[in-house]
Amino acid sequence: MDSGFRILSVGEAARAIATTVRADEQLRDLWVEGEVGRVTISSAGHAYFALKDDRAQLQCVWFRDDRVRSPFQPQTGLRVVAHGRVDVYEAQGALQLYVDSIQPSGVGDFAIRFEQLKAKLAAEGLFGSERKRPLPQRPAVVAVVSSPSGAAWKDVCQVFARRWPLTRVVLVACQVQGDGAPESIVRALRRIERHVGQLTEAGRAADAPALTIVARGGGSAEDLWAFNDERVVRAIVAHTLPVVSGVGHEVDVTLTDFAADVRAATPTAAAELVVPDRAEFASALARGAERMRVAGGRAVVAALRELEAERRVLDRLNPAARLAASRQLAGDLLDRATRALRVRLANVSAAEDRLAAALPSIALRLLGERRAALAEAAAALGVLGPQATLERGYGIVRRAADDAIVRDPAEVSAGSRLRIRVARGEFPATADDPRSAPG
Amino acid sequence: MTNQTDPADAPIDQLSFDDALAALQRTVAELEAGGQPLERSLALYERGVALHERCAKLLAEAELKVQQLVTRAGGALETIDVTPDSARDTE
Repeated sequence: MDSGFRILSVGEAARAIATTVRADEQLRDLWVEGEVGRVTISSAGHAYFALKDDRAQLQCVWFRDDRVRSPFQPQTGLRVVAHGRVDVYEAQGALQLYVDSIQPSGVGDFAIRFEQLKAKLAAEGLFGSERKRPLPQRPAVVAVVSSPSGAAWKDVCQVFARRWPLTRVVLVACQVQGDGAPESIVRALRRIERHVGQLTEAGRAADAPALTIVARGGGSAEDLWAFNDERVVRAIVAHTLPVVSGVGHEVDVTLTDFAADVRAATPTAAAELVVPDRAEFASALARGAERMRVAGGRAVVAALRELEAERRVLDRLNPAARLAASRQLAGDLLDRATRALRVRLANVSAAEDRLAAALPSIALRLLGERRAALAEAAAALGVLGPQATLERGYGIVRRAADDAIVRDPAEVSAGSRLRIRVARGEFPATADDPRSAPG
Repeated sequence: MTNQTDPADAPIDQLSFDDALAALQRTVAELEAGGQPLERSLALYERGVALHERCAKLLAEAELKVQQLVTRAGGALETIDVTPDSARDTE
């Protein structure tokens, strides 16, 4: 166990101080107002200066990267407000404010209030990404919180009219600047919530807005200030519908943007984000119809496979039948099936021109291919000839008089001269009385 | 949109865009899954074509409806038809 008394090295002492300083939440993120002392810029471009008041002074470091981005540079004697964190530079045992931004005193009032409120609300988790709600796809009704006389409202209407006029747009009028604006915006959001509630109770939830756009055109920081108001931010976070913000120009960022579920750069962009473009959507639909056409063609192929199965049944027919009837039977089956398919296709084509254009061409081409395959199979049978069958012990009986193949006892009479062909040759024979033949 | 009856049963030329689109998506999915008799495939195809035409027509012909939410005397909320320019500066 530690005895409680130990001599520290300088490094250990500096580390202990640094650890204590770093553990303090307030010192990690603070605003300090004071007068700038002598400023030195190091060869690396970092600025070193003290901030002073009548009681104390605080060493400050402003690193090059942050400093060169700032439109404002500290000058000796100026009153400024600096933002940053306090830390210990152990190598020199120096306690310093590591500055990340500096505003001249008074002038940067909006920015400071903005940062303070942003930090406070962020600490409450109001801007957390886990709070963000997904936007409904192609909302049927959209509420727009805006000023009826502003350009923002008209821009939003134009976008909907051009891109997706299937959506109904409902203006919820409010003031967007001036002292009354924050309360007015909050009331507008509440009216939407009441409206949605009433429609839902009446069983008409589908008629209620599914999403709220908060829109305002560009303006000065003062003009946009209502959208940094804490009441507005809280009302947006608490709003029952997903919120898309479109406030100011691209460069303007308000706390409303952080509070909204989705931030758009401008009112126009907000509307564009909410609905698809109907021209693009129509092309996607057409692609869907094309997929359908392909699938329809596949259905015909499936039907042709059934034909194929019938052909396999044919292949299993007994050898005797093959000999004489395979071509005809194959032809019959194919014709029958083809006719049936054509009749079906014709019925449909009468009902639907487009279908007629698409399917029969596919069907007929595929039928053609199948027909060729069948013809080939039949030809193979022909090449094979009767020989294979004869080898298995069958014979072909012909009338000597006219060489006709005998298929029916009625074709011969008693005493008819016959020639019988077997696998390895032919021999003559004479028929008995066919009527005396056993069963 | 209606919840009382299956929108798939309604005549195609009376379907809303969303219902027609949903029906079209189901039809394409069923066709693509395959396995149905030829007659069924062709019927699906025919229906799909009609649904696609319905969607395309609604998309092409739609006109934006603009309204304003206003508070009546007594506090009742109501949506009234307006134009973007005629919307009133009133809560």
